[in-house]
Amino acid sequence: MRDQGENMLITVHIRAFARFRESFGDRFDVEVESPATVRSVMLEVGKRNGQGVRDLIDDGGNVKKSVIIMVNRERVTGEARDEHPVHGGDEVALYPPVAGG
Amino acid sequence: MFRAEGKGDYRMLSGRERERYARQLPILGEEGQETLRSSSVCVAGAGGLGCPVALYLAAAGVGHIRIVDPDRVDRSNLNRQVLHAEPDISRFKVESAAEKLQRLNPDITIESMPVAIDDGNIDRVTGGMHLLLDALDSYPARYLLNRVAYQKNIPLIHAAVSGFHGQLTTIIPRETPCLRCIIPHPPEGGSPPVLGATAGIVGTLEALEALKVLTGMGDVAKNILLVWDGRSGRLDQIPVGKDPGCPVCGIRGRIC
Repeated sequence: MRDQGENMLITVHIRAFARFRESFGDRFDVEVESPATVRSVMLEVGKRNGQGVRDLIDDGGNVKKSVIIMVNRERVTGEARDEHPVHGGDEVALYPPVAGG
Repeated sequence: MFRAEGKGDYRMLSGRERERYARQLPILGEEGQETLRSSSVCVAGAGGLGCPVALYLAAAGVGHIRIVDPDRVDRSNLNRQVLHAEPDISRFKVESAAEKLQRLNPDITIESMPVAIDDGNIDRVTGGMHLLLDALDSYPARYLLNRVAYQKNIPLIHAAVSGFHGQLTTIIPRETPCLRCIIPHPPEGGSPPVLGATAGIVGTLEALEALKVLTGMGDVAKNILLVWDGRSGRLDQIPVGKDPGCPVCGIRGRIC
């Protein structure tokens, strides 16, 4: 129940793919304040790499729309994606789709 | 799985074909080889992905390959676009590719279309095809191919690369999510740096996937995005699902 309280730190498990693995690491944990969202978790992930964060977060502080985000292996999409709640112990996976041919 | 039955001719394999395909006939069987020969495949793009895709499909004996690309060969293409060489610079890529492919396998038909895929020609580009292969470098063209694949009920294999990385998924209309479900917002375009070997791996994976879709052999990358990470030498699978609000195939959002 630790993640129910206000301003408590919760631990979220991160799994990064491809270029994000290069920038932020393969599997690691981040600590964020509860209540946490996809946005707050991604901002915390972004702190691990000052260059790599540009591929993850846009100038407005939002997670880039093209980034694929999964919480507990379920894809999170739609306009409210960044506000999707994340709880202590959740696994959040991130992948940046590529475009080249 | 899809089979190109009822299309093309079903004559027996010639002596030359038997010799040419001797090392794969034990895998495919005569029936599988004849299925490939009677298959028509569109390779959209004759660049980093399109070159290995078309090369391996021609070598495997896919009977009709239509290769589509508006661009001409530039020297900066040659680190990865392995069908083109120094003397091909400024030729149409499809012309350069068709020449090499036909030389590799004179028993198949290579059709080249030096056009940029758009609304006006997409019917001509995809007409008569059993399978569409996305070897493009832009999402607007990919979305167009995806929409037409859905409308015409043609399987589509999507692939893309950047740097050390690449991705691939197989789209079976009405069965799997479409490209729009999987990638609703395109990543930034431009011309990302690409190692030739990355395009080679992902393009070869796409060719293998095409052979499996055509012959019905093995498991194809349905409902998953295969992600190649060349830096760690890993192939990961990201599960993907249909988006009910998808503007192409969604039950709530269909516009086409």
